[in-house]
Amino acid sequence: MRTKELKPVLLAISISAISGLCWSGTSFAQTADQLYKRALAATCANCHGTDGKGVPEGGMPLINNLTSQEILTKLKGYKSGALEGTIMPQLAKGYSDEQLTTIANQLGKKQ
Amino acid sequence: MDRRHFIGQSAGALGLIAGFSGSARASLQKAEILVIGGGYGGATAAKYLRLFSNNTARVTLIEPNAAFVSCPMSNLVVGGSRNMAEITSPYDNLSKRHGVKIIHESVVSIDPDKKMVKLSSGKTLSYDKAIVSPGVALMMNSIEGLAQANKDGVTLQAWKAGAETVALHKQIAAMREGGTFAISIPEAPYRCPPGPYERACQVASYLKQHNPKGKVLVLDANQDIVSKAGLFKKAWAELYPGMVEYLPKHNVTAVDAKTKTIKLEVQDDVKADVLNLLPAMSAGEIAVKTGLANSNGRWVNVNYINFESTAQKDIHVLGDSIQIAPLMPKSGHMANQHAKVAAAAIVAELSAWEVNPAPVLTNTCYSFVNSKEVVHVASVHQYNAAEKTFKTVPGSGGLSPAPTTLEGVYAWGWAHNIWADSLG
Repeated sequence: MRTKELKPVLLAISISAISGLCWSGTSFAQTADQLYKRALAATCANCHGTDGKGVPEGGMPLINNLTSQEILTKLKGYKSGALEGTIMPQLAKGYSDEQLTTIANQLGKKQ
Repeated sequence: MDRRHFIGQSAGALGLIAGFSGSARASLQKAEILVIGGGYGGATAAKYLRLFSNNTARVTLIEPNAAFVSCPMSNLVVGGSRNMAEITSPYDNLSKRHGVKIIHESVVSIDPDKKMVKLSSGKTLSYDKAIVSPGVALMMNSIEGLAQANKDGVTLQAWKAGAETVALHKQIAAMREGGTFAISIPEAPYRCPPGPYERACQVASYLKQHNPKGKVLVLDANQDIVSKAGLFKKAWAELYPGMVEYLPKHNVTAVDAKTKTIKLEVQDDVKADVLNLLPAMSAGEIAVKTGLANSNGRWVNVNYINFESTAQKDIHVLGDSIQIAPLMPKSGHMANQHAKVAAAAIVAELSAWEVNPAPVLTNTCYSFVNSKEVVHVASVHQYNAAEKTFKTVPGSGGLSPAPTTLEGVYAWGWAHNIWADSLG
């Protein structure tokens, strides 16, 4: 009985795995929510690089050496005024706390 | 954990449950997406369509120029402190790293009914989705005599960075001792609100070193400086005392190329030695020609949630060509941000998902007051679903308190990163 149930699922996994091989991206698939999160974090990329990977020695502080928690602490500090800066205090105030959390989770160093 | 539970989780992790349906994926993978124009908007859109689709979307970028020359930072070339190589980036990383097909040609026409694009070679391409990002067109006929004067090289615009950027610097360098450089600014909106004032700074910076009796005359059709007014006025007064003359409400109507005389709507004629007359601007030529410029015949109205033209379905328009939302500048940074919203929306639509209901845009614009010191203006624009537009967030954004060399370093950091983000 279990074998019967298993077949279509295994088939589906196989198809998905094959499709995954055809995609050169790192993730096999994404949800709409994941896409929105990527798009939100991409608002930072103009200054801090695509996916948070900034140009080394380009002149802009790099963020890809920070964990998500470190990024979030900084962003919240800029937003509250606890941290000083040039542009970041002005930009951080434009995002909701939820958005800042999403950005930090998207761009933080994966441990 | 029983086996069924385990299998269910695995399938979910592979995206079978949570994401793409079979038909939607086919639609995303099969759709032909053409991006017309490889500036900050178009190049970014091409790259992010590939990134956001996990490299499954078919994306072709059509751009006549062999390399990308940045308008931001080009005033430093006009002022002579930087050269063209420093503001030029190749296009080939878009194909090598991201799988974007690039065609170096111009688009002659777009047929929105047949969904076809005709190229300068005569070749035609069909599309399912088109992104049109052609920048601005300079309305040379808005100033009598300007088209011919510019053709003859007597006046230069250098507002689209390229050969004229270098030519304008050469004219400034060759100007007679104590001569006058005149720049005129059309009524807003135009490309790069602080750009003309930054240019005045760069020319003054050059003259201060090489032609200290020279003058910079700023003829502005607007009521006052359009962006960073206080910062520019302070910079002119402190860094270039007696050199920069700013005249608001001075609308240029004609130019006499022979005598280098500028005619104004209200005031008396003005003569200068180097003329940099910026005419009124509109959406790029291909957008106007395709009938997309449905805002007073000049700019393209778009649905801000996905940047689709309100005139034609499946044509998305980015950057300087659009009718802006309140307080949204026509800037390269903003075009890059439009592109990401549009790319995400197109990927969502072709995947049969709801388009992101809450997109966000930012803008950052650095201006050099001399070769090293910089001021900025920044803003955050959140989509307002009730009003179907982007609105700046109260309490966010703002200006630099004063020029600093630290922001000069950040300005170059911005440039290197946005070039890499758009083209790298």
